[in-house]
Parts: sequence; structure tokens; C-alpha cells
Amino acid sequence: MPVQFRAKKLDIGSFINKWVIRDHTKRKVYKEYEPERQALRYIIRNTSLPMRTRAQAQLELSQMHCYTRSTQINNRCLLGGRGKGVFRAFRLARFQFRMNALKGNLPGVRKASW
Amino acid sequence: MATPKSRILDLLRLRSQIFNTNFNPLHERLGNKILRQRLKGPALAEYYPPRVHPSVELRKAFPNWKVGDEHEDQRLANIENRKRRGKGTPKKRTAAESKKLTKRRR
Repeated sequence: MPVQFRAKKLDIGSFINKWVIRDHTKRKVYKEYEPERQALRYIIRNTSLPMRTRAQAQLELSQMHCYTRSTQINNRCLLGGRGKGVFRAFRLARFQFRMNALKGNLPGVRKASW
Repeated sequence: MATPKSRILDLLRLRSQIFNTNFNPLHERLGNKILRQRLKGPALAEYYPPRVHPSVELRKAFPNWKVGDEHEDQRLANIENRKRRGKGTPKKRTAAESKKLTKRRR
């Protein structure tokens, strides 16, 4: 039930489609539940605690909602919403990057020529 | 002459007290690695830029100033234009009128 996490009002200003909104929701959910996940991870890794406690923590961690996992997050293009071929430094997909670089919108980026 | 082991352990304990580190001479896995990790969530959640409403925020910040709103002006102009062509929204009926109309239809 991912709907339970989604914001009532649109709160991002980049390119919008359903995948972008979904990814943004996942990021917010991950931020909220990160301390809880780390606490559980600590209990699981701590060999001085009783085995039963650790097993319970393992179970609890595995039963958390998938949106609370960091592996669900995927960087998407800010101008096209594409999920593949996105440059981390510019947050743009390869084609948007090329067009904007050629237009001169990205400071410090030049077409290579030698 | 070799230093006794207990003395070395005392030194290690003292060192961990001074530098506020964990004293774990048996190298047990205590999961402190995870406590040392920083939280990534806040940085990850800021990936997409927030939505901004410049005109609304300007008006809120400077209530005495007159800040134009192109969208609103355009909307009002469109309504005016439609009214002039006789295509505006109909007037709201009073309760008595609407009752009469519904009765007649039946």
C-alpha cells in the first residue's frame, strides 16, 4: 500500500511523472525510518546479545515495508524523469545532459575537441 | 623483560577512556560499525528540488507591495472576455426558482 506514504500535495518542482513521485515518496519514507532500521541492524550485528533477540530483530527488519529500504531509491532525471543513464553530478539523463551542455546551460561543461 | 599482558590491557583501557573509543580486547563483533555510520536519509530526500511559488511567497514576505500574478490576471481577463461574448457562467438561482423548475420538469 504505497498510497499510505504519498504526500497529499505535490511538493517537488522538477519534471513530474508517476515514477518520479514514487521515487520521491520512497526517499521521504527511507529518511523517516532510517534510524529504526539502523537500530535493528545494530541488534542483529551485535554478537553479545542473546540469539533470540537478534532473531527477532532480523524478523522485524525483514518485515518492514519495502519503501523503507534504501535499495528502492533510484536517481531519476530532473528534466525527463528517466531512470537510466542519469549522471549523478548533474542529475540529468544522458540526452538531457547533452542538449543542455551544448546550449551552454551547464557551467564548466564543454564539448571535447582535440 | 616482556611487559605482562594485564598491563598492556590496562593501557588499552585507559586509551579508550581518554579518546572515548570502544574497549574491546577480544575483538568481538558488537555492531558498533553501524552506530558509527552517518544517516544518509536527509541527503537522499533532497534529491528533487522543492516546488516554489514565487508570487505567493513574495506577497507573503512583503504584504505592502503590489506583486503581480500573471496566471490570475490572465484568468480574470479570460472570464471578462467570455462574459462580453455572452458565454459567462449563468447566475445562481434562488431556492424558490430552482424548486419551480424541478417541479415543472416532473
